[in-house]
Amino acid sequence: MNEQQTAYRIRQLLNRGLDLDAGTLARLEAARERALSRQRVAAPSFVLGWADNVIGRFGGPASLIPRMLLPMAVLILGLIAVNQWRDSQTAAEIEEIDAAVLTGDLPLDAYLDKGFDAWLKRSSH
Amino acid sequence: MERRAYKQALFAVRDSENALDIVQDAMLKLSEKYGTKPTAELPMLFQRILQNTIRDFYRRQKVRSLWVTLFSSLSAGREDEETDPLETLAAEDPSGAGALPADRLEQSQVIEIIEKELQRLPARQRQAFLLRYWEELDVAETAAVMGCSEGSVKTHCSRAAHALAAALRARGVEL
Repeated sequence: MNEQQTAYRIRQLLNRGLDLDAGTLARLEAARERALSRQRVAAPSFVLGWADNVIGRFGGPASLIPRMLLPMAVLILGLIAVNQWRDSQTAAEIEEIDAAVLTGDLPLDAYLDKGFDAWLKRSSH
Repeated sequence: MERRAYKQALFAVRDSENALDIVQDAMLKLSEKYGTKPTAELPMLFQRILQNTIRDFYRRQKVRSLWVTLFSSLSAGREDEETDPLETLAAEDPSGAGALPADRLEQSQVIEIIEKELQRLPARQRQAFLLRYWEELDVAETAAVMGCSEGSVKTHCSRAAHALAAALRARGVEL
């Protein structure tokens, strides 16, 4: 008898030995139920939560308003925040330039002089 | 599924209470961590978790034994129990003293003998044999669960099958 045949016979006999006593079976069943109940709690948060959200959007105005308003409000607030941040960035840049101009050795009139501007461009080349 | 898992744990730890705890832990871990995985992947994942839970049990038992040894003076007989069953490589030589002719044995007795011989196998051989032939995982899956090469799985399975056949023959059981 080769390995496969030995294994097959042993497998058959092991399967017949699965008749466990009632107490053990009950505890295994309870453990299984407990595990399944945990799964029921964990799984819906991903799968059913999303499905419910999608269905809820078509569930009439009562469900539409809170479900749509909150994301919209968050989006608008986000856009306002981005806009403000950009404004503040621009203001900071302008302030920096102003400060550089005011604290520089050159008089302010030099920047208004077109000849000076042309000289600057030429000398930079 | 859980019956086979219980038996596997029982063969490994030889205590029904601990075996039940191990199966329960493994099922909870499977449902909590992998509840959203495709059904086809679950048997292999469960086997991996089960084998890890059995290994964790051995580790905890080893640590506990270490503390017991530190705080009490124990005989050498007690120390024998501390050895990690996973590291036990040599199978006990079954005595042929209680051998009975196969035709006089009831099936339940044959099953009992097989289960005892499975418990006597080195842990890795038993693990490979049960995963491969009882849980019907293929060689690659068994290797993945055991964290070893496919070659090792084949070697473990072959040795386990030969050891079991020889032990059963020695006890008068012909398969």
